[in-house]
Amino acid sequence: MNVIEVRGLTKVYGNVVAVDNISFDVRKGEVFSLLGPNGAGKTTTVEIIEGIRKPTKGEIKVFGGKVERAKEKIGVLPQEFQSMERLTVRETLEYFSSFYKKSMDIEELIEMVGLTEKKNTLYKNLSGGQKRALGVAIALVNDPSLIFLDEPTTGLDPAARRNLWKAIRKLKEGRKTVFLTTHYMEEAEYLADRVAIMHHGKIIAIDEPYKLIEKYGEKTRVIIKKIDSEEEMEINDEREIAKIIEKLKEKGIKYERIEIKRPTLEDVFLKLTGEGLT
Amino acid sequence: MRAKAIIGDIKASVKNWYRNKAALFWTLAFPILLILLFGEIFSGGNESYTIYIKDMDDSTLSHALINAMNNISIINLQPIGKNADVKEYAKKHAVLEIPHDFQNAIFEGKRCNLTLYLDPSKEQTNSAIRSFISGIVNEINLRFNNASIIVGYEEKYVVEEQFKYIDFFIPGIIGMTIMTSAIYGSIEINVKYRKRGMLKKLLTTPLQKGEWILSKMIYQLMISFISTIAIIAVGITVFHLKASFNFTSILIIIAASFAFTGIGMIIARFVNEEETADSAASAITFPMMFLAGTFFPLEIMPSFLQIVAKILPLYYVNEGLRNAMIYHDGNAAMLNAVVIATFAIIVFGIGVVLTNWKEE
Repeated sequence: MNVIEVRGLTKVYGNVVAVDNISFDVRKGEVFSLLGPNGAGKTTTVEIIEGIRKPTKGEIKVFGGKVERAKEKIGVLPQEFQSMERLTVRETLEYFSSFYKKSMDIEELIEMVGLTEKKNTLYKNLSGGQKRALGVAIALVNDPSLIFLDEPTTGLDPAARRNLWKAIRKLKEGRKTVFLTTHYMEEAEYLADRVAIMHHGKIIAIDEPYKLIEKYGEKTRVIIKKIDSEEEMEINDEREIAKIIEKLKEKGIKYERIEIKRPTLEDVFLKLTGEGLT
Repeated sequence: MRAKAIIGDIKASVKNWYRNKAALFWTLAFPILLILLFGEIFSGGNESYTIYIKDMDDSTLSHALINAMNNISIINLQPIGKNADVKEYAKKHAVLEIPHDFQNAIFEGKRCNLTLYLDPSKEQTNSAIRSFISGIVNEINLRFNNASIIVGYEEKYVVEEQFKYIDFFIPGIIGMTIMTSAIYGSIEINVKYRKRGMLKKLLTTPLQKGEWILSKMIYQLMISFISTIAIIAVGITVFHLKASFNFTSILIIIAASFAFTGIGMIIARFVNEEETADSAASAITFPMMFLAGTFFPLEIMPSFLQIVAKILPLYYVNEGLRNAMIYHDGNAAMLNAVVIATFAIIVFGIGVVLTNWKEE
């Protein structure tokens, strides 16, 4: 079943086409990621789906109808969202929960995003990562079945990013549908069931991450660094690595280390557009 | 309209307010400081005048004169000894010297002079004292010449009580505080919340724009009344202000809160940057504060500025509050209330229509 259906979505600002006739579906229970560099049209797309902006053209269905009718069932973390400065973590969640008919247990929610120790801290005294974690918690306060996260980890340090990723992964276990926009390919690769790659307002590829890599990426390469030289080979199957090591042992070849270079979504993007992702 | 959402939003706004030291300063501490400062500076108007009296005659008649003068409430007589250095005392307050032959001269119908020593640097006080003394001298002359008084005069105040500067000033400060907190408050909510993605977020929740505006208005009214009560409380305890908090004054405070919130909403619609919005608010509030008769009566301003004042909404708020709370002129207060309420309906209506959470 499709939770979101987008058909022929176009958004034009003056003479700039921000989103150019895109169509895609988001399936129930998946983490769907819109991946692309800054300015590709990701935020415009997600904000049109959320009902924040009006499309120039196209048809959008959320739970089979208008998004305005589905507000009780969706949770949104807007890009660069900042909550009220002088409310504590707990008060912030209580505030947002007052808008909904259904509300999650606040204490449980605080624990889920790892803010238990900070629950009585004012918003303005939280770190960047904690603010973003609270933003995710706010998006979950009504126990939504569809969650939009727009660039949730931009500007966070690697540790804070990892923590947030763990929280987002838990959502998938709760069988929630997640719509994630990001320009970090590791994020999409780590979290997404399906990835749509966006470039200059168009979706240029859409599939499961490993399938995209298989289809557009280079083959996995094994580089053997010897004392005075190095040997590089392409392999089709990673199980071949074991054989390579065995051979090295047999022949008694000494080496410093072995590097395995797997193709990534970055390579897919490079291949498709001829440009880097970031 | 759902009460749960509206109460939730009001609670959050109030918490955010009382934890914000800057907001507390502008809504409470600043108006109170202004009252204490200006009230002290300008409260000298109706004080009594101290006059040192040097009675060289020490006769029945000189004592009678001193007694008579003591009955004038605004004169505070302080006797000084016959050998006192007049010039030293005159540096502090005026000195009136009764000559040693005062009683004799009068009984014998001879001329004698009362001498008034004044410090030329205190001209304002001097002229008041001069007129008391010349009044007394005239009275004595008439009495002892057996002349009859043909033309007298009587003073009547247009209003029943006599008002002090502080009575004029406090309603002005209430008007000013409501204006600044409503304009800056609504700009902060609209511009800052837009910048912080808060409006986007609200748009994706079931909270309706109408519920949100209603909640923000109730919050703004609470702030207006908290400021007003604090200002009046200080006025009563420190300056013995006699203000009444009646229906018309409440109506004016409500109308003013709506009107100035509306102005803030309109500014916020056209200015997206926080700093620019603050400057725009200052550009509106500061001239209005000074031109609308907040600190000084309009009558002391040039006539063209008086005309300008009468197109400013704050003028009607200030005048209305004065008429309602201090002068007890119910009709004038109601007229001001009608003007400001009409303005509020128009401006707030435009503000609501212009307030848009959606992005382009």
